[in-house]
Amino acid sequence: MSLFVDQESYFRPRTLDTLHYHHGLSERLKALAASGDFPHMLFYGPSGAGKKTRITCVLRQLFGAGVEKLKIDQRVFLSPSKRKLEINIVQSNYHIEITPSEAGSYDRLVIQELLKEIAQTQQVDLSAKQRFKVVIINEADSLSRDAQAALRRTMEKYMSNMRIILCANSTSRLIAPIKSRCLLMRVAAPNEEEMMTVLKYVAKRAGFDLPPEAGEKIVEDSNGNLRKAILILEALKMQTPDLNGPLSIAKPDWEVYCYKVADLLVSEQSPARVMEVRAKLYELLSHCIPPTIILKTVAERVVEKVDEALKADIMHWAAFYEVRMRTGSKKIYHLEAWVVKVMSLYKVLFRLLMQNPFD
Amino acid sequence: MKRKKSNIIDSENEEENSPPKKKAAISASKSSAKPRPLVTKVKSKKAAEDDDYDMESPPDDNEDDDSESAEDEDDFDIKPKSRKALASKSSTKKAPAASTSKSKAGKEETATPSKKSTDDPKGQLKGPAKKFDWAAKKAAQLAGPVAHGSKAVPAGALDALAGLSMVFTGELSSFSREEAIDLAKRFGARVVLQPSSKTDFVVLGDNAGPSKIAAIKKHGIKTLSEDEFLNLIGTRKGLGNGKMDEKTKKKMEKEQEEIKKAAKEMEKRERTDRAAAQSGKAIDPKMQLWTVRYAPQNLKEICGNKSQVEKLQTWLHDWSSSLKSGFKKPGKSGMNVYRAVLITGPPGIGKTTAAHLCAKLEGFTPIELNASDARSKKLVENGMNINNTSLDGFLKGPSELNSMGVAITDKSCLIMDEVDGMSAGDRGGVGALNALIKKSKIPIICIANDRQAQKLKPLMGTTFNLPFQRPQAQSIRSRILSIAFKEKLKIPANVIDQLITGAQSDIRQVVNMLSTWKLSNDTMDFDEGKALAKMNQKYSILSPFEITSKLLGPYVYSATSRETLNDKMDYYFQDHSFVPLFIQENYLKTQPSRLRNLEGPEKVMKELQLMDRAASSISDGDLVDALIHGPEQHWGLMPLHAICSTVTPTSLLYGSGSSYGGPNAMTFPQWLGQNSKQGKLGRQLGDVQIRMRLKVSGDKSEIRQSYIPALFPHIIKPLIDEGASAVDDVIGHMDEYYLSKEDWDTIVELGVDEKRDDAVLKKIPTATKTALTRKYNSTDHPIPFHKAQDLGKAPKKLAGGPAPDLEEAYVDDVIEDASDDDTKKDDTDDVAKDSLIKAPKPKKKAAPAKKREKSG
Repeated sequence: MSLFVDQESYFRPRTLDTLHYHHGLSERLKALAASGDFPHMLFYGPSGAGKKTRITCVLRQLFGAGVEKLKIDQRVFLSPSKRKLEINIVQSNYHIEITPSEAGSYDRLVIQELLKEIAQTQQVDLSAKQRFKVVIINEADSLSRDAQAALRRTMEKYMSNMRIILCANSTSRLIAPIKSRCLLMRVAAPNEEEMMTVLKYVAKRAGFDLPPEAGEKIVEDSNGNLRKAILILEALKMQTPDLNGPLSIAKPDWEVYCYKVADLLVSEQSPARVMEVRAKLYELLSHCIPPTIILKTVAERVVEKVDEALKADIMHWAAFYEVRMRTGSKKIYHLEAWVVKVMSLYKVLFRLLMQNPFD
Repeated sequence: MKRKKSNIIDSENEEENSPPKKKAAISASKSSAKPRPLVTKVKSKKAAEDDDYDMESPPDDNEDDDSESAEDEDDFDIKPKSRKALASKSSTKKAPAASTSKSKAGKEETATPSKKSTDDPKGQLKGPAKKFDWAAKKAAQLAGPVAHGSKAVPAGALDALAGLSMVFTGELSSFSREEAIDLAKRFGARVVLQPSSKTDFVVLGDNAGPSKIAAIKKHGIKTLSEDEFLNLIGTRKGLGNGKMDEKTKKKMEKEQEEIKKAAKEMEKRERTDRAAAQSGKAIDPKMQLWTVRYAPQNLKEICGNKSQVEKLQTWLHDWSSSLKSGFKKPGKSGMNVYRAVLITGPPGIGKTTAAHLCAKLEGFTPIELNASDARSKKLVENGMNINNTSLDGFLKGPSELNSMGVAITDKSCLIMDEVDGMSAGDRGGVGALNALIKKSKIPIICIANDRQAQKLKPLMGTTFNLPFQRPQAQSIRSRILSIAFKEKLKIPANVIDQLITGAQSDIRQVVNMLSTWKLSNDTMDFDEGKALAKMNQKYSILSPFEITSKLLGPYVYSATSRETLNDKMDYYFQDHSFVPLFIQENYLKTQPSRLRNLEGPEKVMKELQLMDRAASSISDGDLVDALIHGPEQHWGLMPLHAICSTVTPTSLLYGSGSSYGGPNAMTFPQWLGQNSKQGKLGRQLGDVQIRMRLKVSGDKSEIRQSYIPALFPHIIKPLIDEGASAVDDVIGHMDEYYLSKEDWDTIVELGVDEKRDDAVLKKIPTATKTALTRKYNSTDHPIPFHKAQDLGKAPKKLAGGPAPDLEEAYVDDVIEDASDDDTKKDDTDDVAKDSLIKAPKPKKKAAPAKKREKSG
């Protein structure tokens, strides 16, 4: 049996009408789909806000139930250096979904070859509701600059055959020409009330009552990520079936590990400790936790534990090294530089306090 | 950030001013001397160029000023005395009279420590005070770090220290280690690394190694301070004054005697050769290169590797008997079971010579094949008619000599020179050679430089390995001295030693160097020898480990070090991809020398600040690296990368402590392993994501961060809690998300902390694991798609056949129609045989998958 999140009967909406929140947005999308003049779109918002769900609903609105017959293909591209790149493609008769960042630095190649190929063939199915196909590009914010440039002209030239829907977490990494060619759709994270409603709905469908305290706790813990909230709900339900009494929400493994790193950082400052932290950071990185998430989680935890005077500085440097992480190539260097920076700041402040304890 | 950095520097300066002289000088030199090193370099280089012309006239005994500066500036490695002279030269802006520098030198010779301390602050004041006075600046720079050059070298007798053996330990205040060793050698001392009972003096500096001090106590060796050492040079009378002890004297005389004898021998040999040349039988030795003319003629003349040469000779000697016994009797050294020998070692130490000589002495006719011959498989197999004995002897009679001057016998010996040079052109050559060795009836001697080479792997089992080492300088010295004597070159022994070390014991190179030198000069003094050795220097490639321990070690950045910024950057350029990784891995493992005078919490704080600067510099370095390896490839930024990634961090944190074997031993960069692990797990996670895609909309990182923790209680925890009974349930969940057994493994592998894969797998009983695997394999599962690589090959096989001839195809069509049934039968047979359809399971899996797709 699937998890709650992934079952239509419990939660997952399939049509624009059944979406749980942002009804205004849903209305507008519905109107757009009906107009016959469907633009390129860019959906952006934090993860777990419902971007993909919304895109699927739009597709269904456009083409009918046919888009839900998905199949997965794997395409092999040859890089200029004759390396084989495997790209997974999810497609129905009416749309195709790609994640170019799978190809790493060769994402431009994927965009060029695949998009052109799709764009140059017309819709074959005469009974299709629309004359165009839709291409969904996932993780658009990790597209390289070259790939984005490759997208520019394609978007205009093949407008008659194809619409592009980009899906990203933030628009900051997208170049302006792309943004200007798209209709921007911000899918904000649901607010607490909306999350509560959804949680209650899921509970009702699953056949149990959600005590308000438990609901609040989940909402607080999930930080605006609805997917996470529902997953927590289910985990809690498994843990303590009646959902009453004091609840402790089990944190995911990596989060606990990040907290350990933060505790190490605060409890001692020495070269040996840096090496220890480095080993732990390496482990997190190699187990596919994105460096930004690591830095964010650790920094938030460290800030909780240190003196008021340091908080601003620590966050400042976290932001500073986060940017460097994105521009640089070896993430661990910047993470470690931040760790050492925090330790140094901590020690300096500590020493100041020791010298003039009554300041 | 900039502001903060400068603050730190300032505060350092303030503090370092308080401990008396040494530290102050460091900070002064660091802050004042560093920014503009180029100026002096250009200047002094120019001076050196000018003075090059003066080199023609031999410098007479350091007396007048002209020759002094000439010889000193010639190699940029300026000696203390002339530095002083230059300093005074530029500060007074007058042509320096020899007397001024001399008198100063004289004064300093007897200088007491108190005098030194008054000398130093002067130099320090010069730097920051007159900031824009270029002359003063240059003077301050030339005065160098710490008390560098504060002491002059006394003009002692050239063999002042002859016959002494000395050990240096710790850091001297006015010379770097290399300079001091250089100095001792210049005056004829023998410098060894470890003190022993034979050591005459130990020169003690600051921070001497404890083991050396223990050895000094144990053997009761006399110790010298820096001043006493200089004094010794100035006052001790060398051999010429007859105050040598008898033993050394006798030894020297005996050596001299032997050299003369050897030279006479050569003379004699040459004379007979010349006589032969006149009768037209041989080549006049005068026409030959020195390396040929003075090549060893008997085993005694081969320098070093005596035991190896002996082994080779006995092996050849025993060849016929071991051939008779079918290589069953190992003999004394165990060599006689081998039909071939592999000699390995660095170039120029006499491998080929030894092989030829041994063969000749044992009566074999050497057949040599080297890299200039094609040695492909075919040629080795067919071209070498070596199983036959030579017919030469039969035709010409036993007393004949062949073109090489070797008596022709019916015994031949194959010398395969430069085996590791069998390269692309000699495809299969090594294999064929190996096959040849296995059945050879004549001895085969293979010679190579690098034993570890991948190419030589096949030879490992079939050949006896005979490694040749670089001979010690002593064992070459007398030979070279006799050559020099014979050629009437006047070269002292310590200069010869210098040449030998410079050439890394490459005898051939030393002889070549001398023969070139002979063209223009008849004598060579210490500095000329040094220059010559440097000119012919072979650049030794250091391993990243060596580079890291060097850079992070206490000497490269120490105040007396003479390495320029460029030298330090060169370490990076030795291996620009690995060195930064090594530095990043190991930069926190030292006891930084900069903190030597600090204690307690102050030290801890300062250390963290240094670390912070180093780490942020490494972070800068990565940004530069991204530009270099990015789409635009700014390779021009590599020097900047060298500074950011390597030089700055090491300059901040250098110190002792990071050595082999210790608790903080240097390690290979983890980054490489971790990065490839990250890549691997990332790919596997991608596989999991795309399989789950039909159910789940999240991307890779969402899967990792939310779904894997959420799936854990469904597909892994039951196995821990309930054991084998939960297997059905788990498989049900997995099928729901189209997860395969491999994906299950991936999910386990992706856990961290308490859910680390090894911790989790330990908790699941083996029986449960096997039950899961067996159950999973025995049932059918929905799979969302086939990987492209699994399917891609079949059509290629069809297309790969010979191109169909269209005209015949028409005829074929008719025939095929007739035998339609037959072909169909064949097809079914083929399916059974076909390797692609061997595993029937994927096919079964595919069918339900399609059904599900339709329904879902």
